[in-house]
Amino acid sequence: MKEKIIRKPQLGTWLEGLRKEYEIWAPVKKNGLVLFHPIESAKEIHFDFSNTKKTAKDLFFPQSEVLFSFRGGEIEKEADMVLEKPRIILAIRPCDAKSLALLDKVFDSEDYQDPYYVERRKGTLLLGMACTHPQTSCFCTSMRSGPFEKTSLDLLMVDLGDDKYLVEAVTQAGKDLMGKDGSFEDVQEKDRERLAKVKKQAEEKIKSKVVIEGLEEKLDKIFDSPFWDRVHQRCLGCAICTYLCSTCHCFALLDEGVNSREQRVRSWDSCMFPDFTLEASGHNPRISNRERMRQRVMHKFNYFVKNFGETACVGCGRCIQNCPVNIDIREIIEEIENEQPLPS
Amino acid sequence: MPENEKQLREVAEKLLIDKKVDLIIGYEKGTLPLRTRPTFIREPEETKRLVWNSRCENNLSLYLKTVKEKVGIVAKGCDSRSIVGLIKESQVKREDIFIIGVPCPGIIDRKKIEDVLDGRELLEGVESDSQILLKAEGFEETLDQDKLLHASCRSCRHRNPVLSDTLVGKEISQPQTDEYSDVEGFASQQDNERWAYFNDETSRCIRCYACRNVCPACYCPQCFVDQSLPTWFDRTPHLSDTLIFHIIRTLHTAGRCVDCGACSRVCPMNVELRMLNKKTEKDVKELYGYEAGKDLEELPPMATFKIDDPQEFIK
Amino acid sequence: MKEDQIVATEKSEWKPRIIAFLCNWCSYAGADLAGISRLQYPPNVRVIRVPCSGRVDPYFIIKSLQHGVDGVLVSGCHPGDCHYISGNLVARRRFAILKRILEFVGIEKGRVQFSWISAAEGERFSQVIKEITEEIKTLGPNKKFVKEI
Repeated sequence: MKEKIIRKPQLGTWLEGLRKEYEIWAPVKKNGLVLFHPIESAKEIHFDFSNTKKTAKDLFFPQSEVLFSFRGGEIEKEADMVLEKPRIILAIRPCDAKSLALLDKVFDSEDYQDPYYVERRKGTLLLGMACTHPQTSCFCTSMRSGPFEKTSLDLLMVDLGDDKYLVEAVTQAGKDLMGKDGSFEDVQEKDRERLAKVKKQAEEKIKSKVVIEGLEEKLDKIFDSPFWDRVHQRCLGCAICTYLCSTCHCFALLDEGVNSREQRVRSWDSCMFPDFTLEASGHNPRISNRERMRQRVMHKFNYFVKNFGETACVGCGRCIQNCPVNIDIREIIEEIENEQPLPS
Repeated sequence: MPENEKQLREVAEKLLIDKKVDLIIGYEKGTLPLRTRPTFIREPEETKRLVWNSRCENNLSLYLKTVKEKVGIVAKGCDSRSIVGLIKESQVKREDIFIIGVPCPGIIDRKKIEDVLDGRELLEGVESDSQILLKAEGFEETLDQDKLLHASCRSCRHRNPVLSDTLVGKEISQPQTDEYSDVEGFASQQDNERWAYFNDETSRCIRCYACRNVCPACYCPQCFVDQSLPTWFDRTPHLSDTLIFHIIRTLHTAGRCVDCGACSRVCPMNVELRMLNKKTEKDVKELYGYEAGKDLEELPPMATFKIDDPQEFIK
Repeated sequence: MKEDQIVATEKSEWKPRIIAFLCNWCSYAGADLAGISRLQYPPNVRVIRVPCSGRVDPYFIIKSLQHGVDGVLVSGCHPGDCHYISGNLVARRRFAILKRILEFVGIEKGRVQFSWISAAEGERFSQVIKEITEEIKTLGPNKKFVKEI
């Protein structure tokens, strides 16, 4: 059966069975933050959240990753590219799952495969949790995603209320996970009615609408417009929006170490940092925050579209919620729509 | 506080009309419930965007370093002390700014509101008198603003701006506060307990540098963490490097930090390092009798010396 | 000498490693005098000569701890005697704040120490080194701030 019901008390039993084969990562609340952690029991899972503070990209493209260590020109140890144990990410939101599809275009394309990323993707199953309570800052429905979207997921779970989850298999692997346990019940007609109701309510809750039709072309026309002088004014130039973004993926390769032992590390970098484009000569093509803000918007809504055919944004709203000066990408896009192109 | 908003807008509008300033930096309503954000106004009619309430949390003096026009800036007590610091360090000229001082009884802490809501999304917030009504799905509660104040505001001893060209509203009373009780309590713990606390806090740090970038006192063209010849501290968030970044930033802002709380407010990972800054502030006061941002004439404490400075720690 | 040769191997008993930043005009000369006078002092100290104690940045001290040294000494001229007039006086304030913040964070009292030693104080230099070495021996190896890779 493609769909099943599992009751909340049985969830723990099912996960306990899965834990024998898989390392399970789930949202855990600590210090006021909900983040993905490996768990020992279902009791640790925090289900009452809108979205995790940091994104799912961390689990495939970690903030820092040692590629190899070396001393005196000789490589001492190379990174293990194999996961110790296959993983399950439980309760990942559909927007975060969609973001992995976008990251796949960069890290796992026809021409280039990043072995570290690919290995993690291959060894991980994604068990999604539909958003029954989207936030006011969510705009996934405008970004080819949605609160019940199934892209990249192996399973989608929906909280129907009344202590029940509806679980739908999206891939064969997901189906196999369900088949391994007797905790599941058949779906009743009233469950399907409830599902339809909950889905409709969730989609209606997403009031933020962002229009991306024609955005790419518009951006081409306003590259030199004074619009960008206004947009960047209060930006601090920190990395919050880039580090907490589901799809941002810039990184730096750095040699770091102490006491003559060094490591080559791949770690996140941010296009909002002043030295992101600083060249060895001292020249910096993106000399001020204005150019960097412009490049960020262009990358997401123009360059990525040109290179990969899709906008590099899933509408998760983390940048809006976390920006210290409340820079709102929805506002920026609306202003872009209204901006008059300069006469050519 | 909201009653001063009208006066603030009038003052700002007049400044622009009379061309006393080219730019007003103040606060406007944000796009999320209860949020405000910095705003830059150049046309007199736009001054109706200006707001003044218990949620005006950013320290606007941050922007003085980069604007090249004559500026009218809205400044709370702590902000005005930052401005004094910037003038003293020749980052901004006194005659280029017009300080619109606003007496401030305290700004609420958004993180405290998140704690109260316990995972629910804030849908609406209404401020009135000295209370805030919070509305979320299936939840409604009115709280005293006092209970929601940020820690910096609770120990604030400068509610009225120390330097201003005009004051919006009347000066407000300044209660006595015991600023350093947190630091003293913490210092009484064991070495290893304190070490564990700081390591635990910094383990969450993602090195986004929002704390550094939002600080008005941090204006080095190249920060020490961004130096590469030599590379003092590595970029990747290794626990050792990250804790050191925060300690050195505290050292660099010693005697200059006014405890506006901006750094702790902006941190997305709830890293609480205000204890470090408060400790250094206490030391500078005890050892050298200096308080940041009070006096335009006083020399910065770390750039000067006295022959009889305390040295009992030196062999 | 390669840095790794300084590292104590697992097999041998732990011996403290102490870095001493000595100002060229006073403390380094004092250390030199101790040497010329054949005064004995523990060999656990590595000296780094700086023009003035005012040159010593908190980075150097913290970076040393990160590299795994067990103790740091910074020594300069007595106040009033600085070759550059006031280098040590400005440094004095910097060191006071640094010492307090390091201890506040949990670094053991006595890991990072400061002294004023003049060029004539060879005897005193060897005395200070003896004291510090004993104090660090009691504190044990430094595990805090050490960056392991």
